[in-house]
Amino acid sequence: MTVEWLHPGLLLILGAWLLPFFSGRVKRVAMLILPAAALIDCWLMEPGTYGVMSFLGQELVFGRVDRLSLIFSYVFSLMGFLGMLYALHVEDDSQHMAALTYVGAALGVTFAGDFLSLYVFWELMAISSSLLVWLRREPSAVAAGFRYLLVHIFGGLILLAGIVLHWSETGSLAFGDMGAFSGGMAWALILVAFLLNAAVPPLGAWLPDAYPEATITGAVFMTAFTTKSAIYVLIRGYAGTEILVWLGAVMAVYGVVYAVLENDARRLLAYHIISQVGYMVCGVGIGTALATNGATAHAFAHILYKALLFMGAGAVLQSTGLRKLSEMGGLYKTMPLTLGLYMIGAFAISAVPLFSGFVSKSMVVAAAGETHREVVFLMLTLASAGTFLHTGLKLPYYMFFGKDSGRRGHEPPRNMLVAMGLAAVACVLIGVFPGLLYQHLPNPVDFLPYTLQHITSTLGMLGFTALGFFLLLKHLDPEPTISLDTDWFYRRGSADVLALVRGPLARLEFGFVGESYEFVIRRPVLGVANFLRHLDSRVVDSAIVGVGRSTQSFSQVLKTMVSGNAQHYGLIMAAGILGLLALAIFLQ
Amino acid sequence: MNFLQRLLEDPVRFARIKRWFYAGLAVAAGAEIVLPHIFHGGESHFSFEDFPAWGALYGFGSCVAIIVVSKLIGKLWLMRREDYYDR
Repeated sequence: MTVEWLHPGLLLILGAWLLPFFSGRVKRVAMLILPAAALIDCWLMEPGTYGVMSFLGQELVFGRVDRLSLIFSYVFSLMGFLGMLYALHVEDDSQHMAALTYVGAALGVTFAGDFLSLYVFWELMAISSSLLVWLRREPSAVAAGFRYLLVHIFGGLILLAGIVLHWSETGSLAFGDMGAFSGGMAWALILVAFLLNAAVPPLGAWLPDAYPEATITGAVFMTAFTTKSAIYVLIRGYAGTEILVWLGAVMAVYGVVYAVLENDARRLLAYHIISQVGYMVCGVGIGTALATNGATAHAFAHILYKALLFMGAGAVLQSTGLRKLSEMGGLYKTMPLTLGLYMIGAFAISAVPLFSGFVSKSMVVAAAGETHREVVFLMLTLASAGTFLHTGLKLPYYMFFGKDSGRRGHEPPRNMLVAMGLAAVACVLIGVFPGLLYQHLPNPVDFLPYTLQHITSTLGMLGFTALGFFLLLKHLDPEPTISLDTDWFYRRGSADVLALVRGPLARLEFGFVGESYEFVIRRPVLGVANFLRHLDSRVVDSAIVGVGRSTQSFSQVLKTMVSGNAQHYGLIMAAGILGLLALAIFLQ
Repeated sequence: MNFLQRLLEDPVRFARIKRWFYAGLAVAAGAEIVLPHIFHGGESHFSFEDFPAWGALYGFGSCVAIIVVSKLIGKLWLMRREDYYDR
């Protein structure tokens, strides 16, 4: 690693270990300085290739710096700063260290130019983010954290399998556009691993399962990095892959449908992450310059407004202890600042003009229009109405207005409000001055968000969505239920499989397989063994005993001759010699 | 008593907000119908976008469709008791 280039991810991952040595004000300053330094580091970086190391005859590139990795690194380190600011009051070093490691690993993925270093940071992200779930230290969080980690380890293994296959097929570990290997096994495995992290259904149920169980401050970090780093690697490797267009469009609608049914505030927002990431996946799939710009811009804007929304829901959770919409209501009286800041995030995600979503989401929708995909265009627009319906109307209505629950919250600590304020400022700045964001996008931008038609049709759509909401309000009352998702397969499905194995399958094994074994294998084998035993005892044994007996009787005969008496032997020898002499004389 | 409380808890002011909301909707739909005839943009990608008040109609339709269809799927299939996974 060269001295003139400092990896911002390494700065955070190593810097995190300093926190336990500080306390009080110094620690809080360090918590802010680390991500701020990473942000400045990314900001000062010039495009190029840095941090090249040789390993197993391959080049590991830790610093591929170009326009695409730079813009993601800006928003990742900015989000790291906002997240740490939001968590400043939390007295738990392990949470802060996990969060900083998580941000650092996401930056590592962003700058990785080869598959091996990508894989290492990919797994580090999974482990550090699991900690953010576990550290809520409640049984439900521990269980959700284990499910989350297992799913991501599964994804990591698929990625590793794809990488090894790709390496053995091409002899190279370089990570770039995978279009040339389209359709191959390695291509598919790596794509599946990326899609799992992007929470594309049916591989995305880990997201709404785990995020609402994370710590209040940890969830804010989690909204930003795993799915958006997956979008980054998809743009890098899989831009223009047709299947992504449809997966993305379905995903955008899928998240909205589940949001209707959801009662947990943070889980509702989590389903809207899936919906919003759907726009990005769709943009990656369309793959034109406008579409990849749109996916990138939307990822940038999304990280900021979604963090703001999670911060708002987290503030309510922190001050009231409530997470279910059916139990909230009437909080506007005591938490007006939180409400106002939350609404800025809600307007941004709903793509209201002058807020960030309006200038980023519309790029993806326009790209679908430019490439003449009517159905995708309609699905994305429908999901857009659904986003406003839930995040902009339903959630604030039941959380802050609605039936007064009698609970009285209070505004969150100042650092949380400041973090929310900064995120809100970013949402408005991007919306009012889209050029600030557009100038950093990977491709040159030739797109005007503020056209007359776009503004009027958006306002019409949002306004009449609101009308529909108020007309159908009584059907939208949140119900204390949970919704089945594909996590059923490993939460209930596996238990049902086990019950099947223990009950009917075990009986079948014992009754049928065991009995057949008795007749087909055990009895014939025992019969043969019995026969061999007889053969052994009768024939082989008698033969050996016979040999022994005849040896014994022969030696009885010999015993009389071999007496051990020297005179006796001399007499026999003399008799022998005399006999031989007599024979010799007689024969002559 | 903050600003929102004064606005929402007084029935007269609340009724006024409601009227403003409906007026706003009328303006939004009206603008969508009228403005394209005054300023010719011609930037729509599909012909259905040129249908009068397309955004308002599609927004309202989407909203109703999402609520009705999702609730149907939920009631018939997806929604379970909260302790479903704990039993």
